[in-house]
Amino acid sequence: MSGSRHAVAVPEEGVAARADEVAAEQGPALELHSSAASPAGAFPMALRGVGKRWHKKQAPVLEGVDLTLDLGTRTWVGGRNGAGKTTLLRIAAGLIDPDRGRAQVWGYTARESRARYQRLVSFLPAGDRGLYARLTVRRQLEFWARIALLRREEVGDRIEEAIEAFDLAELAERRVDRMSMGQRQRLRIAMTFMTRPEIVLLDEPLTSLDAEGAAVLERAIEQLLDRHGALLWCSPIGERLEQEFDSRWLLEGGRLVPA
Amino acid sequence: MNGPRVTVSAFTAVLRRDLHVFVSYRTRFASQLLTAVFSLTLFYYVSRLVHVSGFPSPDSYFAYVVVGIALVSVLYSCFSVAELVRQELVAGTFERLMLSPFGPIRGMVAMSLFPLLYSFVLGAVTLGLGALIFGLQLHWSTVPLSLPAMVLALLAFLPFGLIFAALTISTKQGSVGTSWVIALISIVGGLYFPISLLPGWAQTAAELQPFTAATEVLRHLLVDSPQEASLGEALAKLLGFAAVLLPASVYAVHRAIRYGQRRGTIIEY
Repeated sequence: MSGSRHAVAVPEEGVAARADEVAAEQGPALELHSSAASPAGAFPMALRGVGKRWHKKQAPVLEGVDLTLDLGTRTWVGGRNGAGKTTLLRIAAGLIDPDRGRAQVWGYTARESRARYQRLVSFLPAGDRGLYARLTVRRQLEFWARIALLRREEVGDRIEEAIEAFDLAELAERRVDRMSMGQRQRLRIAMTFMTRPEIVLLDEPLTSLDAEGAAVLERAIEQLLDRHGALLWCSPIGERLEQEFDSRWLLEGGRLVPA
Repeated sequence: MNGPRVTVSAFTAVLRRDLHVFVSYRTRFASQLLTAVFSLTLFYYVSRLVHVSGFPSPDSYFAYVVVGIALVSVLYSCFSVAELVRQELVAGTFERLMLSPFGPIRGMVAMSLFPLLYSFVLGAVTLGLGALIFGLQLHWSTVPLSLPAMVLALLAFLPFGLIFAALTISTKQGSVGTSWVIALISIVGGLYFPISLLPGWAQTAAELQPFTAATEVLRHLLVDSPQEASLGEALAKLLGFAAVLLPASVYAVHRAIRYGQRRGTIIEY
């Protein structure tokens, strides 16, 4: 059940180069596995038989979900409100555990190698949370870059790149609590992409964005795919999407079905 | 290999974040300074009224209690990590720590740094004001030794904050109990009066936690109060508490996070 536009082959540059970079930063004990070195058939991201039930007496919100993300592809998962899209993304992001099955990046779960997993996966949660109201945009980005364990000499460049790419120059010294919802969303998206992750998970990313903001997001996605990353985008059925996706799925009754 | 460098950078990032947030509330420091002045004034005049055996003069009780006041702010800072975690859960920023390679455990230890350093400053200011305004006699020859002793005391106190932070993560209620515990420690830790005035069972409780030992050590070093136990014995006690409780509290945080991840409630409050 995977997108099919691109074959699963790791290019010499891009992902593999990033893999080497992360491995070099973390040392031999945390050597990163690209597909060349990872367990046979490993995907950048794979969800295998994922199940989650919130209450014993209720039907599972996810049941036997299989999904793989291929290199350089974008995948859409839609569904009604409460279908389990956010739960699926939280499991994929390594935030919460599935009751059954597993989420893996290059064959490894977040449980097995949390720091490595979080270096490779970036998640934009739905809503407008996750920002420090009294910090400026620049300080917010700097904080995120540093706890993302970017190299110190990289931090400044990444902040400037993010400010430019996400059109935040005029807001750079403004506190978050003095920004509009759309501006906050652009900052949240900037934080999602600034660490150059391999896999980006977006939960309703268009919330509060104007056309200009949506275009900025699209450019960031194109750059991600150009460097052979993978995208998973979740949004409710009925949301007008102008983006093209390599594969589209619907979450119904806890299972994924082709859209 | 730049692992340690980026880790230090992440710790300082959390420290800087908390400093920036603190500074953004412009009147907070002034308000806490005023609170310290009011407490000092209150206890200065109480010390003029009360004559207790064991304190040869009103000034000796005042010196005793000023160190207690300074330590209360340190005590609050140690427990503040639970409240900070609660705030992060409410604001959704705890999710950022969870999603970062730095991680929630190191993140929680890092977020306790600013309150601890700030409590150092506030404690020093309280002692300074006590000396300047009310004539508190500091024992300058041993005052510098109080700094490493304070660091050791913090290492012994911090686990209590981390355990409450773990409770906050797992039950979403942990920070509620911190004010009760701080009040209890203020009584049995000998912060405002000697524990010898307490009933026997309470004196036993006083010996079972590190605050009593820390208070005694710091009083001895700062204002030359006589000690029940030897300095080395008290320091060894603090070291023992830190050595046992720090790993235990970090493990408690780890278990609380895993519990939240399994239940799916880790980022909810």
